Amino acid sequence: MIDPTDPKVLCRLYLNAVLPCLADLTHEDPAARAIGADVDASIVLCVLGGPAVTLHWRHGEIAWAAGFGPKPSVILAFLSDRHLNAFFDGKKWAAPLPLWGGWRVGLLKRFSALAARLEQVMDGAPEVIENADGRRLHARLTLITVGLGLQALAQGDQAVRRILGTLPPGLASFSIAGESKARVWFDHGSPGQQAGWGDPPRRPDVIVQFADIGVAYDVMREQIDTLAAVGAGRIRVDGLVPLADGLNFAMERLRVYLKR
Amino acid sequence: MDRNINRFRRSHELFARASEVIPCGIYGHASPAAALPGAFPYYAERALGSRYWDVDGNEYIDYMCGYGPVVLGHQDPRIEEAAARQQRDALCVNHPAAVMVELAECLVEMVDFSAWAVFGKNGSDMTTWCVQVAREHTQRRKILKVAGAYHGIDPWCTPGHAGLIPEDRTHIHEFTWNDPDSFDRLLARFRGEVAGVIMTPFHHPVFKPSEMPAPGFWAHIEAACRREGIVLILDDIRAGFRLDLRGSHRVFGFEPDLICFCKAIANGHALSAALGRRELRLAASRVFLTGSYWNSPPAMAAALACLKILRAEDVPAKLRATGEALMQGLVQTGAKHGYALQPSGPPAVPFLTFVEDASSRRQQRFCAEVALRGAFLHPHHNWFISAAHGPEDVRQTLAMADEAFGVLRGEGL
Repeated sequence: MIDPTDPKVLCRLYLNAVLPCLADLTHEDPAARAIGADVDASIVLCVLGGPAVTLHWRHGEIAWAAGFGPKPSVILAFLSDRHLNAFFDGKKWAAPLPLWGGWRVGLLKRFSALAARLEQVMDGAPEVIENADGRRLHARLTLITVGLGLQALAQGDQAVRRILGTLPPGLASFSIAGESKARVWFDHGSPGQQAGWGDPPRRPDVIVQFADIGVAYDVMREQIDTLAAVGAGRIRVDGLVPLADGLNFAMERLRVYLKR
Repeated sequence: MDRNINRFRRSHELFARASEVIPCGIYGHASPAAALPGAFPYYAERALGSRYWDVDGNEYIDYMCGYGPVVLGHQDPRIEEAAARQQRDALCVNHPAAVMVELAECLVEMVDFSAWAVFGKNGSDMTTWCVQVAREHTQRRKILKVAGAYHGIDPWCTPGHAGLIPEDRTHIHEFTWNDPDSFDRLLARFRGEVAGVIMTPFHHPVFKPSEMPAPGFWAHIEAACRREGIVLILDDIRAGFRLDLRGSHRVFGFEPDLICFCKAIANGHALSAALGRRELRLAASRVFLTGSYWNSPPAMAAALACLKILRAEDVPAKLRATGEALMQGLVQTGAKHGYALQPSGPPAVPFLTFVEDASSRRQQRFCAEVALRGAFLHPHHNWFISAAHGPEDVRQTLAMADEAFGVLRGEGL
């Protein structure tokens, strides 16, 4: 469905679906982990009067948390959803306002480097996808973004809400066989349309599982005909088929938002 | 999937080739993704009577009947001969053949409210055209339909999500089956703007049990349409000629203004039809209608032969009896294994689901196990009975179901 995008939804996608990928990136990617090997800090990104997230950065790894964490090292504020979106879109004029910790130039430089690495992996830069490790990272991070992004889309995007309105309620799980912690879930019909990364809170009503990282990569890069892959057994769909089918189209909206 | 590798070797080989040159490998309702990937055959080779064989030589009692069109049984010689005879004279020519007139006369005589008939090839041809006729007749824009009802693949009604723009459905509004209040709310909101209401005689959404009309529901819709000058379109494509040869509205005690037929009209030959009241004749004459093959005579000859047999042999009564025996038997067999089953829809177009099976996993496993034993029951779509199904088919199916229920019980499902 060709519908306009909503800046509020895009802002939540960046905060709640893209930024959590830093956790997986710093866990799985030695290059990303090395950037903050000796860092012990927390960074808040917030929209003034709007949502906030906190990134706890310790021993090279990031932990993402919703909301405004206690005693942050740095607070990066944006005046509006559009301001944050412009920053994530790479607009140089859209630098955040350092409400606190602006003097921690070293930390901010390293965070910029980490963000650049995330962008490189998520965009599938040639130097990333030229090797198997890079393709694996790209597939994992895209899966996480897509899964977590369903919540923001379900809450605010009209096209997705229209699709979800036709789907049965239920919990859907998306995972890559043989990959640890490469699993996301979305509970359609739950209060707030919950989504998560990791093990779902109960047995999923439908399980979508990619046979291996190669299939997942092809799906995330739109290099595969998914229905043909289901028929060939490369993607397993077990359970409530219409929910998986509808969510697949909802996930397509993410590409429109993130232009990937 | 692994368990069936040898059983479906040829199917999978063909699918691999197809996936190289055909989007989805197999698209639409026959896509493996819509059924049970790996547990069902992907390609069929031949069919006869109540049975069909896949390309690996596996035989199935066919309870989908080509998703409905086969009402007398596969390859019924009386129909094939009528079509072949007509084809020897003409397959595709510049003008309609006489058989088109005969067929229209036959249909108009069978469906008593109708005064005219037109023909297409698929159900969508007719539903979309009828929507246009309703708009032309009333000079209004809005169309009301039931949420979750299937009326074809055109943008105004496709169940798909891709390739659409919001404007496709600006004037399409949905109400809830068996909920007169939700219908009335739309009527009140769009008073004087509604051109047509399109509905199936009973509600048969995919992935869900079918729903029969509640007492008074159809009467309510019909009365509102008469009062408001709205064209009532009956999409009888799936059930038409299986429930009542005069149209399925006869079963439920109302009369539409337009009716669409397709599936059971020609026992598998490509043909659809729309019939309407005399008052809509002028609008029907104004709305352009054509297609490359729509005047092709063989399918019309097949339809004429099919309709005569349906009437002469009272096929709807036979379908009902067979469907009742099958559904009662399945419910009893399931109960023996401790399963509560919910039969739904009319016996001639039945469906069966497990009670308390929100994820459909039990249903899917059951249909997979039955398929393994030689009967094709779809887990997500209503089934179809044909006149070729007999007591022996039902007996064999129940024996397969008995084993399948046992397997499920053993798996703790």
